[in-house]
Amino acid sequence: MVDEREFDAGASQRPRFDARIVTPYLFILPACLVIAGGLVYPILDAFYLSFYDWKIGTPISSAPFSGLAHYKRMLTDPDVLESIWVTLRFGFWTITIEMFLGVSLALLLEKPIRGASVFRTIFILPLMVSPVVVGLIWRYLFDARIGWINYYLGMIGIEPQVWLGDAELAFFAIVFTDIWQWTPFIFIIIIAGLQALPSEVLEASRIDGTNWWQQILFIKLPMIRSIIIIALLMRLIDVFRALEVMYILTGGGPGRATELLSLHIYNRAFDTQQLGYASAISVLLILLVFGLSVAILVIGNPFRDKSDI
Amino acid sequence: MTGKRFAAGLVAGAGAAVALVISAAAALANPYEKYAGTTIVVSWPALAHFQAAETLVEEFTAETGIEVEIDALQYLKLRDRQLLEMSKPTGEYDVVSWVVMWKGEYVSKGLLTPLSQFFTSGSLVDPHYDIDDIADAYLQNGGVVGGTKGYMPGKSGALYGIPFGAETSILAYRKDIFEEHGIDVPATYDELRAVMQQLADLGIPAMTSRGKTGHQVTAGWLLHLAPLAGKIFDAEWNPVINSPEGVEAAQVMREITNTGPAGIPTFGFGEASAAFLQGDAAMYLDTLKIAAMSRNPKLSKIDGKVGYALHPVGSRCGSETGGFAVGIPANSQNQEAAFLFVQYITSKAGDQRMVELGGDPIRMSTIQNNLSNFDEYSVVLEQLPCADPDWRPLIPEWNELNIDVLGQALTDVITTDAPIQPIMDAANDKARAVMEREGYYSWANYRAQ
Repeated sequence: MVDEREFDAGASQRPRFDARIVTPYLFILPACLVIAGGLVYPILDAFYLSFYDWKIGTPISSAPFSGLAHYKRMLTDPDVLESIWVTLRFGFWTITIEMFLGVSLALLLEKPIRGASVFRTIFILPLMVSPVVVGLIWRYLFDARIGWINYYLGMIGIEPQVWLGDAELAFFAIVFTDIWQWTPFIFIIIIAGLQALPSEVLEASRIDGTNWWQQILFIKLPMIRSIIIIALLMRLIDVFRALEVMYILTGGGPGRATELLSLHIYNRAFDTQQLGYASAISVLLILLVFGLSVAILVIGNPFRDKSDI
Repeated sequence: MTGKRFAAGLVAGAGAAVALVISAAAALANPYEKYAGTTIVVSWPALAHFQAAETLVEEFTAETGIEVEIDALQYLKLRDRQLLEMSKPTGEYDVVSWVVMWKGEYVSKGLLTPLSQFFTSGSLVDPHYDIDDIADAYLQNGGVVGGTKGYMPGKSGALYGIPFGAETSILAYRKDIFEEHGIDVPATYDELRAVMQQLADLGIPAMTSRGKTGHQVTAGWLLHLAPLAGKIFDAEWNPVINSPEGVEAAQVMREITNTGPAGIPTFGFGEASAAFLQGDAAMYLDTLKIAAMSRNPKLSKIDGKVGYALHPVGSRCGSETGGFAVGIPANSQNQEAAFLFVQYITSKAGDQRMVELGGDPIRMSTIQNNLSNFDEYSVVLEQLPCADPDWRPLIPEWNELNIDVLGQALTDVITTDAPIQPIMDAANDKARAVMEREGYYSWANYRAQ
């Protein structure tokens, strides 16, 4: 007879296939493959390309190796530094104003007042418009010669402005357009968070005698803190990715007044055919966005406190 | 029996021979027959001349049986798409239309087929094609690559394209405004600048111009650089952007912006043309295409009010040489059918048909034959000898200089009041750095050792 204990001991020494361990990995495998193919591979390819001087229309195998030359040039290139500065200024103004307006509108329209659904629908309309169309709409609205903005300003005696041809005005125009399109995004996220707040807490605070302002500042906003941080993070990443609207609206001009870093990369890559150099700036862009994202998550990780919504 | 078989064989053989002769004769009777049913794909710009050509394309298909698919894009977007397609082992495009400034880049990358390999084929070339009838300035500028400096006419040059939608510059002006205010049409740059100021003083936007950052503002400046006797490079590839002529051309651009319609710093070709065609500017100094556009009721409110004159003279006469040419990618799978298409639309009959459809001619005979039909043709005929083939350097590096160097500097010129000389000096230094990087001074350095 075989000793049962010996048998068990032998079995426990052999590696045993446990479906419970493997199954979760199988479930996430398709997502990992998609991310690897669609995200990791292009990043690695950009990194590889950043060491070469490649021009479209020539075999990549014949591209001369340039080592770290693109990275050295990038760090002292005033045009790159100017684009980063434009992007940071653009991000500061758009995100600050969008967060303020989005949160304010959400707080105003969270109550079931008459016509709230109509207002909500109107507010989110800009979000549904394609960025290219947004660029075209505002390009014609801001047009110095035929634009409606100058037309109505003319009716009140204001001289026509070259909105997209003056450095300061063009910067204002791209900030204004971005606010118009993306404030609804903040609005939707915040209002969803507000409506999911537990009514008991709000009711308890009312019983304790809080007024409207106190309820917002000390109850509602702290409770949706994680949602606000996620919205902020998404907009921050969007600012660094923004391309289409600026491309259509100003093309980065006049000069480089509205040339965000992403548009600068595009112009370098396709207008001047410096694919390797553009790839090096792309790597910088990825690092910048990664660094900012990590910083925001460290400051206010929305997943740290699961008692939030 | 054997004799009968032999006779039958003879009859059959004779019949086959006759059939072969008939079929050969039929093939010779129609050079297109071999390619009937073939589909070629054409990449060209979404501009008025090419939109007018769509009717000619339909007529080509009806006559030859060769199907044509057109991929029309905004003209400055063509390059990216064409480069991508032409760099594949097998591309989508059989015919591409390029802005003349891209020809050097396309050829240096081996993306185009030399047309000589088709012009040696008796079955493909129409004996009545008469390539010498095509305006030499257009043919050299759009189609020839590898001559003097790599882009000018010269014995080392080879033909890669045929002009189609080619152009030079003329002055278009509003006859009604000039007559009403008793203004003489400017013939020199001094007169032009005085007229611009005079019109502005009358509250009339004087002259429209391209001015958008990048290619457009540079194109606007170049229009004045050539007649003011300026150049981009000297004979040793040293940039001379900051020469007195270059600075004066920039000053002219600033004056045009200050006296012209609002928004010039945002104007591309479309916006600059629209400002004139919609009656918001009294003058237009750019491509001759404005004439056909001004007669198009869909585009223009000023039909019948436009006069034409020669591009004003500065230190010399010098008008632009630009526009488009058509050629055949090296990776096209239907090169012979593509050549027949190129030949058809640029033939004498095709050129005349283009004029009837509202396009612009490339042939001297077409211009001569239509002198009485269109006011601007006599001006164009007189202007063409002044068309400067070295108006801008069509080297592969031109795109970077055009957009990234000059396109930025000239925006500073027209959007600020800063002194012009330092702006152009800085641009000159940047241009030199680009040329240094691309090895243009290696021969000079080698000889200096």
